Amino acid sequence: MSFPGQVNGQAPVDGGSPEPGAGADGYRRLNRKCMLSMYISYAVWYAVLLAAYILTRTYAEGFLSPYYDLIGYAFLLVLAIALVYAAVAPPVFYARYRYRITADRVDVRCGVLFIRHTLVPIERVHQVEITRGPINNLLGLADVTITTAGGEATIRYLEVDEAEKVADRLNSLIGRMLRERMPGAADE
Amino acid sequence: MTGTAADVPARQGEKIRCHPSIIVERSLSALVVLAVLATQLGQGAVPAVFALLFVAVVLFNYRQWSRTTVQFNATDVVVERDTLFKMKKTLPYAKMASVNVNRGIVNRVFGTSRLQININSGSGATVPEAVLTFREDVAEEIRAGLAERLCGRETVSEDEPVEPVVTFSPADVIVHGLFSVSTYQTASGFAFLAYSAFQLYTSAGVGGGALVSLLMFFVVQLAPSVSLIFHYYNYRVYRRGDTIHLEHGLIRTYTTSFDVSRINAVRVKRTLAARLLGRSCIEAEVVGLASGSGESLRPVLCLLKDDATQQRLLEELVPEFVDGHARERQPEEAKGVLLVRAAIASLVLVLAAAYPSVYVYRETAAIPGIAGTVLPFALPLATAAAALAICYATYVSYRVTEFGTGADLFSFVNGAVDRETVVMNYDKVQMVRITQGPVARLFGVARGRVYLLSAVGGASVSSGYFAGSRLAAIGETVMERIASGEYDWRKNSV
Repeated sequence: MSFPGQVNGQAPVDGGSPEPGAGADGYRRLNRKCMLSMYISYAVWYAVLLAAYILTRTYAEGFLSPYYDLIGYAFLLVLAIALVYAAVAPPVFYARYRYRITADRVDVRCGVLFIRHTLVPIERVHQVEITRGPINNLLGLADVTITTAGGEATIRYLEVDEAEKVADRLNSLIGRMLRERMPGAADE
Repeated sequence: MTGTAADVPARQGEKIRCHPSIIVERSLSALVVLAVLATQLGQGAVPAVFALLFVAVVLFNYRQWSRTTVQFNATDVVVERDTLFKMKKTLPYAKMASVNVNRGIVNRVFGTSRLQININSGSGATVPEAVLTFREDVAEEIRAGLAERLCGRETVSEDEPVEPVVTFSPADVIVHGLFSVSTYQTASGFAFLAYSAFQLYTSAGVGGGALVSLLMFFVVQLAPSVSLIFHYYNYRVYRRGDTIHLEHGLIRTYTTSFDVSRINAVRVKRTLAARLLGRSCIEAEVVGLASGSGESLRPVLCLLKDDATQQRLLEELVPEFVDGHARERQPEEAKGVLLVRAAIASLVLVLAAAYPSVYVYRETAAIPGIAGTVLPFALPLATAAAALAICYATYVSYRVTEFGTGADLFSFVNGAVDRETVVMNYDKVQMVRITQGPVARLFGVARGRVYLLSAVGGASVSSGYFAGSRLAAIGETVMERIASGEYDWRKNSV
């Protein structure tokens, strides 16, 4: 990815404060289990797509008559593309995913085809939420959703303990910021 | 003690009720629905049942009115309802985004106004937190009092007359109504009109197809324009201290005011028709101006006016969003991405049109006369024209898309057809996302998306293709301003 390491060379206020488990650049990576979670999730969706294809081929010839073959080939093409994507996307997603939480910001870099770099100032965080779907529940993974007044950012496929730690860290950073703003805090 | 706002002016701490006309206002829609149902199913005892149902609705609304009180305290407004579904809503003055008044037909009949209180919140931004009906003068008195509380530093008296910087004539309102509608909407509206005319020409009478197309033209083009003309009739905008006031409306009148610090971004918009007329309009992104009646939530600070007047009004009304920072055009690398995108879009279009083109050719080639000469080639020609339009839009998009950063503000210019300049304040940015697609990676450029608190909750504004590091400067400036203390959370917190 061609974005400069620290976005534009400007270090966060706490210098990035690399935590245990973080790389030299202060970014943390995901657990490999994220790939398994993605594979299972893609397999479920692929099964649904496949079922739709089989149903179309079996029952739709009557009302699709002039376009039956054309739609069949288009469906097959979609199935082939989806299969390639489902096979390739998880390792690429895992290899590219990086996140960093410092005293002043949350920084997430991720993506398979489209690489996204999301920057959320801690100052703007309104809500932190941990969510677990059935597949993640099975694998002991969770997502942390960070809500601002203008949108959401998600740190995905964290181990449950790590997700709890991330949420705690964010909550304590927000709490500290709010305490500092309370009347009389400056005098203490 | 509980009084009715019909005869008791609002005093601090005193519990008052809304004007009783609210019972009529709330029962009217039920009356219309039941009347329609009664005419359709009006046999036997059905009308009597509907009449009883209507009486029940009126009694329910009477109970709701009689047991709902409003209390204006020193620090908050408390709306309390003591019915089966109890409710107590506390709206602190500190969290209020705006207090506005609007009047519909029922309000005019009864001499009342609707007071709408909005909280500065992204969730539920499209509906006001409290809608209270009071006698017109009482509503205005409360609004003025609340506006003064909201803008504590207000130094200019509410009674002091303020001369608007720019006046808007009825002709300006009509021009705004006709030409501020997006070009795509106008084009599809006129396509429906053309199809309707074609149907009328080719068939003997007014067929179903012609009527449906005509209806679509009305819905897509005519109705929005007429609605805009009614909405902005008698438009007036002025600034008093740090508060911007808007007054407009023909059937329903609107009196809106909000603090300048609540503006998250300013959009200068120019539709294709407006550009041909040399006009532009200004909209503001302000959260908490919902009227709950489905109208556009973005307040318009200037109707379509000539560019010089628009610029003068912008400088007078919101100088906070004018800093004259230089803007840069997309780098040469962006041209590659745009060309690849245009090529892919054209290819998809050609592939999608190939089969229908062959089909139309086979079906129409045998038709005698001019139709048989033109129709077989209509679709390929239309496809070629669309592909050319994509190429031209790409060229224009490359030429007009700009990005600029200043000390306090930054801006994006977008739009090949309808152009929009969005000026944003760093302190209002909630989140920044920079995205590089596979083609953009090849050319070393990225697109930025800035998330703001907007009139409809959250909204994002996208940039064109620029160097990733250049776009990342937005996020870094936001962070620098927070770290250096330049960002004042008292003014900007939501």
